[in-house]
Amino acid sequence: MTLDLLRLLLTIALTGAGLVFYVAGTLGLLRFPDTFSRLHALTKADNLGLGLLALGLAFQAPGWAEVAKLALIWLLALLAAGTVAQLVARAALGRGAR
Amino acid sequence: MLPAILKRAGLFSAIWIMLTGAAPDALAFGAAAVAAAVWLSLRLLPPVGTVRLLRMLALVPGFLWGSLSGGLDVARRAFRPRPGLRPGWVTFPTRLGGGARAALGGELSLMPGTLAAGCSDGRLIVHVLDTGAGFDQAIAQEERRIASLSHRA
Amino acid sequence: MSTWLAVLAVGLLGSLAAALWRVWHGPGQADRMMAAQLVGTAGVGLLLILWAMGERAALDVALVLALLAALAAVGFVKASSVDGAGDPEEEAPDPSMIKGRRHDP
Repeated sequence: MTLDLLRLLLTIALTGAGLVFYVAGTLGLLRFPDTFSRLHALTKADNLGLGLLALGLAFQAPGWAEVAKLALIWLLALLAAGTVAQLVARAALGRGAR
Repeated sequence: MLPAILKRAGLFSAIWIMLTGAAPDALAFGAAAVAAAVWLSLRLLPPVGTVRLLRMLALVPGFLWGSLSGGLDVARRAFRPRPGLRPGWVTFPTRLGGGARAALGGELSLMPGTLAAGCSDGRLIVHVLDTGAGFDQAIAQEERRIASLSHRA
Repeated sequence: MSTWLAVLAVGLLGSLAAALWRVWHGPGQADRMMAAQLVGTAGVGLLLILWAMGERAALDVALVLALLAALAAVGFVKASSVDGAGDPEEEAPDPSMIKGRRHDP
């Protein structure tokens, strides 16, 4: 097995898994019964989806600079998700969301 | 103060190098941007103690694992015909404040089944996706881990 | 490879389109905001796929979109506090909402 084929398979497997988590996040957002449960689905599933997508695509990157930038995007998304989830939950709590 | 300045300058420099791909003609702009970012970050988030960076790095694998199992748990529920949710609230006493509490809340929000919604009367308010699954057992452990990251100066 | 990337992009667009239903129906403002957040993360994912298809500048656009999506959510939360600019914690939560278990170690 050549290295290129291995990289291609890793990309397909990881990005495919990423898509599954994106779809799960959307399904949770549509199906879960209350605002806070929907926020769980969005925060946890979508970030994992983005992380797996970025990791999978990193195997196609032409150089380390691009890999570093992919990592930075994922790190930023992760930090933002954790922080924003708390803020939105608190705002919904203050408003008396169901 | 000096260690905080050096740590933050190091962090922002690393981000600048990632952003520009270490392009040599961007380094001068980077020096100015890093100086401005350090000044702004010291104004917005003054250092309250020292953060143990090495210990923080040691927590990264556990955090990634928690995030992965959190995503798996919620995805399983989203795909199941019956998600099996028993949502409810738990409040938990915490002595953490400021940045450490925000870090704990953010971490809990990515772990399986827990979602932080700020603090009230010194108690952290946590939403739990399934009150029967024991997700809230992890809160105390996460709090101890985050607390071990900083000593007060 | 490019076929697979196209499949991924269509899948992401589909999940993004489905999330728009929440923007439409709510019911709460927070639900609409969450759907907008999802559009942000899915948008970042789409830009990463565009990058892998050969659009080299899309990576920088993805970074900026990730940043703006976070700021949009912070703006939403700030606008929803009493004075329109404050900390959401300045307002005590409705105690009947959080009457759940107290958890003491």
